[in-house]
Amino acid sequence: MVAITPNEPQDLNLLDDETFRTHVRRWIESNYPAELRNPPKRLHWDENKPWYFKLAEKGWLCPGWPRQFGGLGLSPAKQIIFTEEIERHGCARTNDHGIVMVGPLLINHGTAEQQQEFLPKILSGEHIWCQGYSEPNAGSDLAALRTEAVLDGDTYIVNGQKIWTTLAMDANWCFLLVRTDKNAKKQEGISFLLVDMATPGITVKPIINLEYHDEFCEVFFDNVRVPARNLVGTPNRGWDMAKALLSFERIYLGSPRLSAYAFARLRQLAERMGVWEEAAFQESYGRLRMDLEDLKSLYGSFVDKLRRGETLGPDVSMLKLFQTELFQRITDTMLEIAGENAGLLEPMEGNRNLNPTGQYIQARPATIYGGSNEIQRNILSKNVLGLPG
Amino acid sequence: MSAATDDRTESIRMIRDSAGAVAPRGGDSKRVRALRFASPGFDRAVFAEMGALGWFGLAVSEDAGGAGLGLSEAVALAEEIGAGLAPEPLVPAMLSARLLAAGDDAALLAAALAGETVVLTAWQERADTLAAPGTPDAPRVFIPMAAGADTFLLPVREANRIALHALPAAGADLTLEKAMDGGTIGTLRADLSRTTRVADDVGAVLEQALDEAALATAGLMLGLMERAFDMTLGYLRTRQQFGRIIGTFQSLQHRAADLKVHIALTRAAVEAAAAVLDSGATGAVRQAAVSKAKHRAAESGMLVLRQCIQLHGGIGYTDEYDVGLYLRRGMVIMNQYGSATLHRRRFMALAPEDVE
Repeated sequence: MVAITPNEPQDLNLLDDETFRTHVRRWIESNYPAELRNPPKRLHWDENKPWYFKLAEKGWLCPGWPRQFGGLGLSPAKQIIFTEEIERHGCARTNDHGIVMVGPLLINHGTAEQQQEFLPKILSGEHIWCQGYSEPNAGSDLAALRTEAVLDGDTYIVNGQKIWTTLAMDANWCFLLVRTDKNAKKQEGISFLLVDMATPGITVKPIINLEYHDEFCEVFFDNVRVPARNLVGTPNRGWDMAKALLSFERIYLGSPRLSAYAFARLRQLAERMGVWEEAAFQESYGRLRMDLEDLKSLYGSFVDKLRRGETLGPDVSMLKLFQTELFQRITDTMLEIAGENAGLLEPMEGNRNLNPTGQYIQARPATIYGGSNEIQRNILSKNVLGLPG
Repeated sequence: MSAATDDRTESIRMIRDSAGAVAPRGGDSKRVRALRFASPGFDRAVFAEMGALGWFGLAVSEDAGGAGLGLSEAVALAEEIGAGLAPEPLVPAMLSARLLAAGDDAALLAAALAGETVVLTAWQERADTLAAPGTPDAPRVFIPMAAGADTFLLPVREANRIALHALPAAGADLTLEKAMDGGTIGTLRADLSRTTRVADDVGAVLEQALDEAALATAGLMLGLMERAFDMTLGYLRTRQQFGRIIGTFQSLQHRAADLKVHIALTRAAVEAAAAVLDSGATGAVRQAAVSKAKHRAAESGMLVLRQCIQLHGGIGYTDEYDVGLYLRRGMVIMNQYGSATLHRRRFMALAPEDVE
C-alpha cells in the first residue's frame, strides 16, 4: 500500500451538497482560463496543461481516487456534483487517461511498486498517458486485437500497431492491451502492459481527421522491449480489467453536455439566420428540446443509481445511443438552416458560437467511438433484452 | 437512502403488488375481452374493489378520506393498470375524487372514493385541450367510459369562479360512441336544471387535477408499452423463419434496442415528473413537468405499440392475438388530457431554457 499525502487537506465529503457545489463552482470560475471555455476542438497538452497543473496543485485532479493515493476520495454523489460543475463551466477535457483509466487500474489491480512508481507521476503531471486499445483490424471487435507481447526472460517484446490512439503525440506513457496467449479464446489471451513511449521501436503518426485536427494517432511497435514488471494484474486476464474500466466511459458518453451545448448554439444560429420565428423551425426545435429534456431525465436516473452506490449495468448503453444520436440530429438541423454557410470551413463571422459546420463534423465520431452505436444496440439486445445470439 | 425515500419505495412496491392482484400484467386478457363492447365496458365489481383498495383517493389527503400519498404512487399504479389492460376508469375516478375533496358533498365523496358510485367528470368542451372553461350550456364531450357513470360532475363558470355541479346519470341526455378498445365515449348535454351544486370554486383544483390526470395517463401508457414490448420480445425469442429464431436477426435486434430506449426515456420522464409534483411544485413548474411526461408517453408509447404490431408480422394484425389490445388502448388514451403536440407547445411556452 502506498501512502501519498493529498494536497487537499480537508475531506470535502463532510460538506453538505450545496456548500460543496458552491465551493467547487467558485474555485473553477476563478481558476479556469476564460479563453478555453467550451473549446471547439480537443486540446493538446501544451494548451491544457496549465489547467491540469492548477487542478493538481489544488489536489483536485483525481476526485475519484481514494485519499491515500492522493485523490479526493469523493463519494459518488460528490463526484457527480464535481463533474456537473466542470461540465457546466465548459472546462476542456484534459489529457485524462492517467486519471480515469490508469489510476483506477493500478489502484485496483496494480502492485504496491507499480502504485508507488506511477500514481505520484500522474498526480504531478510528469506522466501523460495514452490508451493503446484499437487496432486496424480490431475496432468494434476489440478482442480480436493482435499486437503481441512475447516474454523473453524478464522482458516482453512487443510488436504490432495501435490506431485511434487519442493524443498519443502528447503522451509519454501508454497503457496497452496486448495478446500474450495466441492459443487461448480471444478474450482470454489479453494482458495489460504499461509502456514508456520513449522506448526504442515506437513510432507515432498523427491522423488528420474530418475536423482537420490531429486528435488521433497511429502507434507502431517494432520489437519494443518492456520490463515484465510493467504487466498489470494477472497475465491473460487483461480483458476483464479493460471491460470494467469502460463502464466509466459509457456514462461519460451519455452525459447531455454535448447535446445541450449544441442545442444552445442552434438557437443562436436560428436567430442569426432569421428563421427563429418560423413555424417549421419551431416545430423541429421543439422536438429536439423535448428529446434533450428527456435525455436529462434518463441521465438523471442513471446518476441516481451511482449516487446510491449501485454499479451500472449494460443498460447504460441506452444513454450513449440516445445522446450521440440527438447530438447529431441537432447538428443536422444546424446545417439545414445554415444556408450556404453549411460549406464554410471556419465559424461564421469569426464567431465561435456560430459554428454549424464545426459542430456537425464533431458530431460524426460520437456514434463511432466508445463502441459504435451498432455495437451498443448489440449489447442492449443481447445483455438487456435477452435476445438470442 | 433517507427514511422518507425508503417509505416511498415501500409504498410504491405495495401498490404495485395490490395492482397485480386486481389486474395481473397481461394475465387476464379473457376478462378484458369479455368486457369489450358489452355495456358498460368495464366490471363494476372490479371498480368497487379498486375503490376499496383506496386507489381513487391515493393522492387525496387523509383528512378528506384519501390515502394521502402522491403522484409517484399514482403513476406506479397507473403503470400496472395499463400493463394489465384493466378497462375500469381509474384515472377519471381519481380526477373526480380530487374535485369532490374540494367540495361540500361528503356523502358523494365517500361513495366515489369507495368505488360504490361511478363518478365521471364532464369537463371537456372540445377535442385536445386541458382547459375546462365551464361554459354553462356547452355540451360536454369525450367522457371516457360514460356508459358506466352513476353521476357526472360538471364544472360551471360563474363570473370569476368555476363551481362544480353533480348531475345524476339516470335520465341524463347522454350520447354514446364506441371506443376502439371496446369501451365508450360519451357526449353529455349540460342540463343545469337537473344538477346540484357540490362546490363553489374548483378552478385551481381542477387545473391541478387535470395535470395529475395527464401524468397518470402517461403512467398508463408506460404500462401498455412495457407489456406489449415484453410480449414482442417473447415472440422474437421463439418464432422461427428461414430455420432460425427471428430474434437472431440483427435488424430486429436493433429495432428492439431502439424501442427499449424509448421505454426508458418514458419511464425517466414520468418518474421525474411525479417527483416534481410530489415536491409540491405548482404553476408553470408543475405544468412543464407534466407536459414533458405526457408528450414523451404519447410519442414514444405509440411508436412502441405500432412497432410491436410490425415485429409480430401477420399475427399482430389479428384481433385474436393480444398485442393488438395494447395498440387499441393506446389509441384511446394517447390524446386524453392533451396530445403530444399540445403538451410540446405548452412545455415550450412555459419552460425557460438553460442559458449557457
